[in-house]
Amino acid sequence: MLASSKTIGEKSTTLLVWTAATFIAIPFCWLVGDLLWHGWHHLSLNFVLAVPQNAGREGGIGPILVSTGLIVGVCMAVALPIGVGAALFLSEYTPHDQVSGRLVRGSLDVLAGVPSIIFGLFGNAFFCQTLELGFSILSGGLTLACMVLPILIRTVEESFRAIARDQRLSAAALGLSKKCSIQYILLPAAIPGILVGSILGLGRAMAETAALIFTSGYVDRMPTSLLDSGRALSIHIYDLAMNVAGGNPNAYATALVLVGLLMMINLIASRIAEQWTTKNQLPT
Amino acid sequence: MPTPKNYRINFTPSLLMSLVFIITIFFSLSLAQAQEGKLVITGSSTMAPLLLEIGKRFEAVHPDTRIDVQTGGSSRGIVDTVKGLADIGMASRALKTQEDHLFGSMVARDGIGIILHTANPIPELSNSQIQAIYTGKITNWQQVGGPDASITVVNKAQGRSTLDIFLEYFQLTNRDIRAHVVIGDNEQGIKTVAGNPYAIGYVSIGTAQYNVSHGLPIRLLPLQQIPASIDTVRTGLFPLSRPLTLVTNSQPTGLTKTFIEFAQSPQVHDLILQQYFVPLQN
Repeated sequence: MLASSKTIGEKSTTLLVWTAATFIAIPFCWLVGDLLWHGWHHLSLNFVLAVPQNAGREGGIGPILVSTGLIVGVCMAVALPIGVGAALFLSEYTPHDQVSGRLVRGSLDVLAGVPSIIFGLFGNAFFCQTLELGFSILSGGLTLACMVLPILIRTVEESFRAIARDQRLSAAALGLSKKCSIQYILLPAAIPGILVGSILGLGRAMAETAALIFTSGYVDRMPTSLLDSGRALSIHIYDLAMNVAGGNPNAYATALVLVGLLMMINLIASRIAEQWTTKNQLPT
Repeated sequence: MPTPKNYRINFTPSLLMSLVFIITIFFSLSLAQAQEGKLVITGSSTMAPLLLEIGKRFEAVHPDTRIDVQTGGSSRGIVDTVKGLADIGMASRALKTQEDHLFGSMVARDGIGIILHTANPIPELSNSQIQAIYTGKITNWQQVGGPDASITVVNKAQGRSTLDIFLEYFQLTNRDIRAHVVIGDNEQGIKTVAGNPYAIGYVSIGTAQYNVSHGLPIRLLPLQQIPASIDTVRTGLFPLSRPLTLVTNSQPTGLTKTFIEFAQSPQVHDLILQQYFVPLQN
C-alpha cells in the first residue's frame, strides 16, 4: 500500500515537472518556428545590407543594423567603466553590511526593477532635452547604459567576490598596494566575469524597444555621427508589425536577424562562463 | 595541452581615462549641434512612415538638408511643436479651436472605417447602433440582428487622433466608452479584429483596404449607406474622414516652407498612395 502510493506520488511529481517543462518548450519552439517559417525566405545578404525602402516594406535593414551597433557600442563604452568601478567599490572598498554599500546595492535593485519605458522617458527628458543631445544614437546609448548598469554591476561584483580571499591576503602580505592588487590580481582574474556581464548587458540592450523609441528615435537613414537619430532593430520590428500595412514579411525577417544575434550573444556568454568555471576548478 | 591563458593585460587606469575622455568629447560636440538645413518632425504614428518617405525624397532633391522624423502620436507632435522641440508636428486630424495659434497645412486625407470580422454577417450598422455598442448599451450581436454572441469592443488609446475623430463624429466622450480592448496603431486594431469573429473596431480605411486585399478576414462597414473606400474618402463623400496635417508654430518660412510645399505637391502623390492614404485633389 505505502509503497504504491509513494510510487504514485513519485510518478505524478515527475509528470507535473515534465508538463511544466513542456509548457516552457512549446511557446519557445512555436515562436522560433513561426519566425523561421515566415522570415527565412525574406532573409538574404542583400536584406541585411540594403537600405529600407517604402517605409521598410521593401529593401533591407543595413542602416538599422549599423545604428543598433552604435547604440549598443555607446551603451557598453559608458556602462563598462562605471560598472567595473561600482563593482570594485562594492566588493573591495565596502564591507558587506556597511551603509554606503547597502545604499548602492539598494539603488541598483530599484534600478533593475524600473520598467524600460520609464528609462525611455527619463532619457528623453534628461539626455535629449536637458543635455540637448536631441534624438540621437548618443542619447539612446546613454539611456541604455543606465538600464544595463544594474545587471552589469551585479555580475562583475559576483566575479570579484568569487576570487579567493587568499589571493587578496597574499597580495597584502607581499606589500602590494590596493591599486596594485586590483590592477594585477583582481581585475585580470575577474575578466571572464566582466565579459559575461557585458555580454548579458549587451543582449538586454540590443533587444530594447521602449527605452529607445523616444531617445535614439525613428530615423532609418545610415547614421553619419553619434548625434544622428538612428532606428534600432526592435523599433523597426515594432513599427513594421504594428504601424505599417504590409510590413509583416520584413518584420519577420528583421526579428529573425535580432533573435539570431541574441542567441549568438548568449551562446558566447555561456561558453565563456563555462570555460571560466572549469578553469577555476583546476589547481594552478 | 592548452597553455593557461595569461590574463595579465595591462589594465592601467589610462583605459578608463580615455573612455571618460571620449564621453566628454561627445558631450562637448552636442553643444555645437545646431545644424543648418535640418528639420525635426514629430507626431502621429499614422503619418510617420509617409513623412519618412517624403523626407527621403526631399533630401534627394535638396542634398544639403536633413529631415528627421520621430513618432509618438498627434498630441505629442503638437506639444513638441509648441515647445520648440520639433520644427513641424504631424497631426492626423484638423487643428482644434484651442490650437488656433498654430498653423496647419494639409498634405493628404485618411478615412476611418468601422471593421468587423468576415464571419460576422451584419451588413450595416446605423450611427445610433454604433453609439450604443461603444457605450455598452448593446452588448450582444443578437440585438442588432446578428448571431448570439457578445460583442468585443476595440477602442483606440488616448492621444490617438483616430480616437478623437471617432468620438467627435459619434458625439461621445472617451469616458462613455466601454471598451474590452484598447489598441494603439492601426495594424494592431486590424489584427485584433481579424483574430476575433465578434469584435468591432475602427481603423484607417487605406490600411484596412490593403489588409482586405491581402486576405485578412476583416470587412469595412458602410456609414450612412456610403461605402468605406479610398474613392469616397478622396471625394470627401465618406463622412468619417480626417485630414493629415503638418503643424507649425507660425506661417512657415524658409526650409520649413519649402518642405511643406514639397509635401503638398504632386511630386509625392505616389508616396501618399503607397502608404494607403489619399492625396488631395488640386
